[in-house]
Amino acid sequence: MTDTTANALHFQGDHAHEHHHDADHKPAFFQRWFMSTNHKDIGTLYLIFAIFAGIIGGAISGLMRLELAEPGIQYLPLWAGTTNLDTALHMWNVLITAHGLIMVFFMVMPAIIGGFGNWFVPIMIGAPDMAFPRMNNVSFWLMIPAFTLLLGSTFVSGGTGNGAGTGWTVYAPLSTSGSPGPAVDMAILSLHLAGASSILGAINFITTIFNMRAPGMTLHKMPLFVWSVLVTAFLLLLALPVLAAAITMLLTDRNFGTTFYDASGGGDPELYQHLFWFFGHPEVYIMILPGFGIVSQVISTFSKKPVFGYLGMAYAMVAIGVVGFVVWAHHMYTTGMSVNTKMYFTAATMVIAVPTGIKIFSWIATMWGGSLSFKTPMLWAMGFIFMFTVGGVTGVVLSNGGIDDVVQDTYYVVAHLHYVLSLGAVFSLFAGFYYWFGKMTGRQYNELLGQLHFWIFFVGVNVMFFPMHFLGLEGMPRRIPDYPDAFAYWNHIATNGYFMMAVGMVIFFINVFWSMFAGPKVEGNYWGEGATTLEWTLSSPPPYHQFETLPRID
Amino acid sequence: MVAVQPRYNRTVIAVALLPLAMLMLGFAAVPLYRAFCQSTGFGGTTQRASALSAPVSVTGKLMNVRFDANVAPGMGWTFRPEKNVVKIAVGARNMAWFEAINNTDHVITGNATFNVTPGQSGQYFTKIQCFCFTEQTLKPGERVRMPVIFYVDPKLIDDPDTRDISEITLSYTFFPVAAGKASS
Amino acid sequence: MKILKTIMMAAALVAAPAIAQETAPTAAVSASAAPAAVPAAAADAPASSFQHAVPVPGIGQPISGALGTQPQVTDIGNEAEFMHNKILLPLITVISLFVLGLLLFVMARFRAAANPVPSKTSHNTLIEIVWTLLPVLILVGIAVPSIRLLAHQFNPPKADLTVKVIGNQWYWTYQYPDNGDFEVVSNLLKEKDQVGPKDRARTDDDGPRLLAVDERMVVPAGAVVKIITTSNDVIHSFAVPAFWIKMDAVPGRLNETWFKVPANKTGVYFGQCSELCGARHGFMPIAVEVVPPARFAEWVKTKGGTMSGKPAPAATAAAAPAAPTAKPATAS
Repeated sequence: MTDTTANALHFQGDHAHEHHHDADHKPAFFQRWFMSTNHKDIGTLYLIFAIFAGIIGGAISGLMRLELAEPGIQYLPLWAGTTNLDTALHMWNVLITAHGLIMVFFMVMPAIIGGFGNWFVPIMIGAPDMAFPRMNNVSFWLMIPAFTLLLGSTFVSGGTGNGAGTGWTVYAPLSTSGSPGPAVDMAILSLHLAGASSILGAINFITTIFNMRAPGMTLHKMPLFVWSVLVTAFLLLLALPVLAAAITMLLTDRNFGTTFYDASGGGDPELYQHLFWFFGHPEVYIMILPGFGIVSQVISTFSKKPVFGYLGMAYAMVAIGVVGFVVWAHHMYTTGMSVNTKMYFTAATMVIAVPTGIKIFSWIATMWGGSLSFKTPMLWAMGFIFMFTVGGVTGVVLSNGGIDDVVQDTYYVVAHLHYVLSLGAVFSLFAGFYYWFGKMTGRQYNELLGQLHFWIFFVGVNVMFFPMHFLGLEGMPRRIPDYPDAFAYWNHIATNGYFMMAVGMVIFFINVFWSMFAGPKVEGNYWGEGATTLEWTLSSPPPYHQFETLPRID
Repeated sequence: MVAVQPRYNRTVIAVALLPLAMLMLGFAAVPLYRAFCQSTGFGGTTQRASALSAPVSVTGKLMNVRFDANVAPGMGWTFRPEKNVVKIAVGARNMAWFEAINNTDHVITGNATFNVTPGQSGQYFTKIQCFCFTEQTLKPGERVRMPVIFYVDPKLIDDPDTRDISEITLSYTFFPVAAGKASS
Repeated sequence: MKILKTIMMAAALVAAPAIAQETAPTAAVSASAAPAAVPAAAADAPASSFQHAVPVPGIGQPISGALGTQPQVTDIGNEAEFMHNKILLPLITVISLFVLGLLLFVMARFRAAANPVPSKTSHNTLIEIVWTLLPVLILVGIAVPSIRLLAHQFNPPKADLTVKVIGNQWYWTYQYPDNGDFEVVSNLLKEKDQVGPKDRARTDDDGPRLLAVDERMVVPAGAVVKIITTSNDVIHSFAVPAFWIKMDAVPGRLNETWFKVPANKTGVYFGQCSELCGARHGFMPIAVEVVPPARFAEWVKTKGGTMSGKPAPAATAAAAPAAPTAKPATAS
């Protein structure tokens, strides 16, 4: 099954012949990392990129929590290097915009789809590589100019100050007539490139999954992580082009005198919101579905049981993806919608709770009757289940168009979205990272540091985000750098939570560096009998080219 | 691996057409959204009828129609309804007057956007004649009275979402038309 | 929740002497009572003789350390708050605790030490049907009051007063089209150390920091107030948490919402702009002062408006003469 005999043919064109052409033959440094066509190397590049972007995005949220720790404007003029209050306040909007865009497009997506997707989708279906290795490389390298453009935009004018201060939603007309200067143009182009990268990646994943499954690996035998990436890839293909169209029209409105979103020329600013959220709502599932997949693998492994209700789990993801396309306007309840529109979106949104509930209960049923060991990845996965439930039920509250009038655009929404993303998607990322760390590096992480990281991070993010529910219900709007003094109490506590979380992240990085160089070496299947997917049949790390002879699944 | 790629061609073409179609749809959303609003009254988009095609039965139900007028900042016009509120019979044809004054010393062409609230009444609020259908050009200091002829469709009474509406507000906002773009 | 309410009521009682109007709803009494309560405000605003109410901590503004929504004063607010506090909140708490309980149970019962041999069960059609249908039933149960709330929100009684709210970067203007079409420009009141010696700075009688404004939107108690919103630049959002309303102000289009504060709930209610609108998004608060109808008439007079529904004399003069040139509109 793990026959790794040479396929010399593949390399003849590229390399000198003095090398021995075996499966572990690696090209020289520059070719390997800059012209990479190997799915595992590209996955590694994505993970490194995502960690780098995550450090920046996380540091930005630290700045935000620092400013919000006490009422009043304390740090913004200092950070912006100005005495002009409006310029300093503009910097706040740049921070919230950058935090949102970086975490969505340059941290979660590259890590969960580009990183783990690239690493494990081909292996899990028994394929030697992705269908289009060179396109895969293009996908990754598009992210670099995209991220550079976004970071660069903070150094050029975006209206009242430097940088794009439009929020990650880039609503017109704040993003058109409201933000002169090149910063917003650069941010938009950055999204174009990141979007193109994701679309190419999605085409690659779909082609790989449809055409390169090993003999016997039927669709209904694929691991749930592969299913989740397949559904996600379709969501990317359907959603991202709409964003591309929407922001292209923003660009032409800004620079070429069109009036797609400008009422003065017969356009409608609300059209932008419809287009954005037609993309934006599936986007949140793009971030969370692969996380569902990872959690399924981890729960199954550490319960030593197959996933409960496999078909229900797979088609629940399909259902979430499909319904996710018809609920977008629940982000727009206060834009002046008519009563029947609001009723429709209320009802449609609630429907999503059903397949999500199926997943939650199936994970618990997978553990039920199992033989559970609580290794670090399992802690993250179980933390995910509970925290995602909390984020999910506040989503049910928000789905009510009539209730939303008081919480729309308040910290309640901030709490909700961070419970599903920062405690949902990010927890699943950590679960996957610890689960596969030994597989990817050949060395195991430190269990004590891993568990310490989990508990400190878990307490920290809850201390940070749970009080935000209270702030939102009391009416604190999001995206404000200063607040009435009555909001100080919970804000102060939330900032303490941030520092706790940051301590957890320091432990994480210590663990990563220590383990990478000094961690104990691991064998192929270090999790034992519960780990049944194909990556555990390979060595750790897997050979540079795996499955030169395809495995057969029965 | 390279050698086996041709068999992916069909998948790739199908899969690559999908985002292309969605991209087209994204741009097509502009006219589609407009058409959708116009046909369903979504977002308080009013309906339009010719004088002939509006043979409507006057009902006994009375309701208020409120007029609201706005001018884009810096345009230099005064623009207001002559009456803020009128009482009308549902189904009856009504005329309302707006007044616009160009307070500047140069010719300005304007174009008015409009909608009605509450949003669900848009599909029943029909204009037969309106200054908002075309651009309006005012000479320096010029003052004009501009009529709107409209009726409220009696179907409004049969719709459970709209039958309790006691007042419809018709709002206009005048925006200057960029000099190069004025059609007249 | 109950403790919270008690604290709030205690706070309200402590501050009660400041709201003389509440016990004395007639204009004459409150007018004579008010100056004694707030002499400072009169000195600050010599141009207008109108005595503004003093906000009461705990009413119409956020409460430090509170866990739930601000105390609601409108019927819609009470209905929505009931739905949130009595239906949704218990439900989501129970669901979350149920999931947590299941997790803790399997952690204890099925840990490797307690259950060394895992079962191989991966299907149970009955339980799968149950956990699909049960959420459906719960959601239908939520949908009923939710849809009813929406229907109530969108079925306002006939409006007694219309106020037009216009968002600007970064302040609000309030127009009263039925009262002579006067306009009130409402700006954030800055702190003493942020303004010049002659400028008006915020005092505690104006309201909390970042919520107090120089000119409040004043409306009569017991009246159905229709709010129509639009914007002069980017999108803003008009929000008053104590009324359970929030409506975007969008340039080039009009939106409407409404509220009705009962006659016994006079006071000052604060809110903040709720759609990112640029640098000073966090610095354009909303303050709605609800006063007895007679006091409202007084306030309108100080603003040069009228209560008759007719335009003020100045506005009538401008509108009355027929325009010399009538421009024919184009028929379709």
